[in-house]
Amino acid sequence: MDLITVAREAGLAFKVNVRGHEFSSDMSVSDGGRDAAPAPAELVGGALGACIAMMVQAYCDTCGYTDGEVGVSLAVELGDNPKRVAGFVIDLELPADVPEEKHDVIMRVAEKCSIHETLANPPRVDIDIT
Amino acid sequence: MEQKEFGGKMLDIDEDGFIQDPEDWNEAVAADLAKTEGVEELTENHWKVVHYLRDYYLQYNMAPMIRKLCKQTGFKLKEIYDLFPSGPAKGACKVAGLPKPTGCV
Repeated sequence: MDLITVAREAGLAFKVNVRGHEFSSDMSVSDGGRDAAPAPAELVGGALGACIAMMVQAYCDTCGYTDGEVGVSLAVELGDNPKRVAGFVIDLELPADVPEEKHDVIMRVAEKCSIHETLANPPRVDIDIT
Repeated sequence: MEQKEFGGKMLDIDEDGFIQDPEDWNEAVAADLAKTEGVEELTENHWKVVHYLRDYYLQYNMAPMIRKLCKQTGFKLKEIYDLFPSGPAKGACKVAGLPKPTGCV
């Protein structure tokens, strides 16, 4: 994958650049930021929700389920000691013409998305000071 | 510690506006706490969430997981956020007089 860069904007806000696409991240006011953009943990939740939605939408498109769109509502549950994302709660909405007997298949499709797999199989994180 | 009036009583609150003693809670306190969360009027659906949270906390001394809250109240996740725009943890738990949830988001 291409290089992802993160550069300071102001305060605790940072701009992320990915293949020329830019977005920002900041902390809430109570955590010392200015709440100018989503917090990093929220971006992780957004990445998971988007990944699941894309995979399930592709499945529905392939199968011809067109009565409505795929949608995701997601909440991030936080934990302490250490501070971390402790869980994600996800409601998945499906096109109305998806039969109930396909729900198990769609759950498997959702769980096979690359971000879900990444969270289920934690990656190596290699940090160096340069 | 900062104090603020809720339900006609001066109560200790933390920096995020959570009351410090769950025993101080009553429905009038809840109604005033809700206003700090942008909820001007507590409907039957708000109370359903608030009472479930409070009953669970009094029984287990902790807030329920979000999925459990959804299942037990019959509300979808999005509906919980429609009722409490700051969410089940920072919004609904505050109105229910529970301690501030953990985490930094």
